[in-house]
Amino acid sequence: MSMSTVLSINKLTKFYGPIRALHDVSFDVPEGSVFGILGPNGSGKTTMLGIIMDILKASSGNYLWKGQAGSAKMRQQIGTLLETPNFYHYLSGLKNLRIAAEIKQRGKEDIEKVLQLVNLWQRKDSKFSTYSLGMKQRLAIASTLLGNPGIMVFDEPTNGLDPAGIAEIRELIRQLNRQGKTIIMASHILDEVEKVCTHVAIIQKGELRAVGSVKEILDTKQVDETVIEIAADDLTALRNIIEQINGLLQVIVADHQLQVVFSNGITAQEVNRFCFEKGIVLSKLNVKRRSLETTFLEITGTKSER
Amino acid sequence: MVRLLKIEWLKIKNYRAFWIFSVFYLVSIFIVNYIAWYIEQRTTSEIPESTVILGHAFSFPNVWQTVGWLSSWLLYFPGMIIIMLMVNEVNFKTHRQNIIDGWSRQQFIGVKIALVVIFSLLITVINVITGLFFGFISDTSFSLDGTSYILYIFIQALAYLFFALMLAVLFRRSGLAIIIFFLYGIIFEWLITALTNFQFKLSPAGYFLPLQASDVLIPIPFGKKVFYPDSPDTSILIIAVLAYITLYVFFARKKFLIDDL
Repeated sequence: MSMSTVLSINKLTKFYGPIRALHDVSFDVPEGSVFGILGPNGSGKTTMLGIIMDILKASSGNYLWKGQAGSAKMRQQIGTLLETPNFYHYLSGLKNLRIAAEIKQRGKEDIEKVLQLVNLWQRKDSKFSTYSLGMKQRLAIASTLLGNPGIMVFDEPTNGLDPAGIAEIRELIRQLNRQGKTIIMASHILDEVEKVCTHVAIIQKGELRAVGSVKEILDTKQVDETVIEIAADDLTALRNIIEQINGLLQVIVADHQLQVVFSNGITAQEVNRFCFEKGIVLSKLNVKRRSLETTFLEITGTKSER
Repeated sequence: MVRLLKIEWLKIKNYRAFWIFSVFYLVSIFIVNYIAWYIEQRTTSEIPESTVILGHAFSFPNVWQTVGWLSSWLLYFPGMIIIMLMVNEVNFKTHRQNIIDGWSRQQFIGVKIALVVIFSLLITVINVITGLFFGFISDTSFSLDGTSYILYIFIQALAYLFFALMLAVLFRRSGLAIIIFFLYGIIFEWLITALTNFQFKLSPAGYFLPLQASDVLIPIPFGKKVFYPDSPDTSILIIAVLAYITLYVFFARKKFLIDDL
C-alpha cells in the first residue's frame, strides 16, 4: 500500500444469515480521487460503506483508513452520508447540526456556513420532520461538510433531489475534489459516476467486477468502433452518400439524424469532408464517445441481470 | 463522559414526550402518596384501633418504606422514557449516525447507561423529597431510622430502568419493548411468583425473579407477612438485584457492541 492510499479494503466479506452480501472485495482508494462505487441497488455498496464506518460488522476481511484500523477518532475526520439522512425528527435542522458538530468535536463554527451553502439557512429553525425529502438530503450533505473534512463518503448523494439539486450536488462534489478532498461515492447511476468520478469500482451481487480509473476501465474494453451522429437537411440523400463510405458497419435512422457506426480508422473529419465533397452540408456532427454504460453492461452482463 | 452527557442533553432537552412523561410521573407520585396519606389520616382518626394493624405508615421512619413502595408502582413511567429514548435512536437511525459522526459504540451505549444511573438518582431524590414532605405533614419528628430504604429505592430504580434499557436494545421496537415491560412486570411476574411460592411450594425461589427481587426489598408497609412470608434476607436480595443489574448491562452492551446497527 502506498503512502497516498486513503482507504484500503482487504477481502471484505459479509453474510446476512445465509445471504452473502459481499464476497472478497478488495481495492484501494487513492488520495485526491473521486472514487465511485458503481452497482445496481442491492449489489452490496451500502453494506460495504456501512462496514467501513463501523455500523456493520464484516464477516471477514478488514479495512484501513490511511493505513490505520478504523476508529471513532478517524471517523470524526470523515464527512459521511449513508443511505438516508439520519436526524432527530423533533429537532430543528440547526440543533441537529449542533449535535453532529459536538460528536465530531469540530465544525461548530461552520454550522451557519454549511447551512447557507445548501440553502437551508432560512429554514434552520424548522423541525427536521417538516423538511421535504430534498431538504433532508441537503441537511445531510451540510452535516458532512462540518469541520471541513479531508475525506468524504457519500451514498447515493443525489437521492431525492430535483434536477437542479442534482446538478448542484454534482458541482459541489467536483468543487470539493478540486480543494483536494478525497471523495468516495456509491451510486447506481452510471451517468453520475461517469460525470463526477475519476475512479470506479464496479460491484455486482457483492463481487468486485472491475476497478481502476474511469479511463482505464473504458480503455480495457475499447473496441475499434467509431459511432458518429450526423444530420443534414436531406436525410435520405445523406444516407445514400454515407453508404458509399468504406468500413460502414451500421446505419441507425433516428429522429432527424443518423447514427452511423464505422469499423476502425474513420474520423469525424473524414466523414465531414466526404459529405461536403458530395454536395451535402452537415447540420450536425457528433462523435459519440464510448460510454461507461456500454462498458458497464459488458462487464456486468445483460441489462436485466443484477 | 461530561462531553457525552452534554450531547445527550441536547437530544433530550427539546423532546416533548420526555417532559410530558416526567411531569406525569412527578404528579402521579404526589397524587398516589397524597391519596394514601389522606386515607391513612381518615382511618386512624376515625378508627384509632386500626393503627395496631396498619401502624403509622407516613410517620418517620415508616414513611420511607411507604413512599418507596407506593412510588415503585410508578417506575414504569421512567422505564418507558428510557425505552423511548433508546428506541428513538434506532427509529431515526441516529444510533448509526452518532457512530458515523465519530462516537465509538462503547461511548454510545455508555452514555445511555450513565443516563439510567442519573435517572435513578433523580428518582431517589424525588422519593426523598416526597418522604420528607409526607413525614413532616404527618406531625412526626425526623429520625435517621429507616433511611436504608432510600438506598433500596435507588437499587430498585436501577433494576427497573436497566431492565427497560436491555429490552429496548434487544427488541429495538418501542411498542414491543413497552408491552413486554408492562406485561412481564405487572402481570406475569406476579403470577409466576405466586405459582412458584404458593402453588409449587418452592419458596423462596419466586422472590428471586428479576423485578420481584427488587420489589421484595421494599415490601408493602403492612401485611408483609401475608404477601411475602418467608422472604429472604435483605442482603441476599441486594446481591440478587445487583447480579441482575450486571446481567442487564452486560447483555445490552454486548448486543450493541457486536451486532450490526
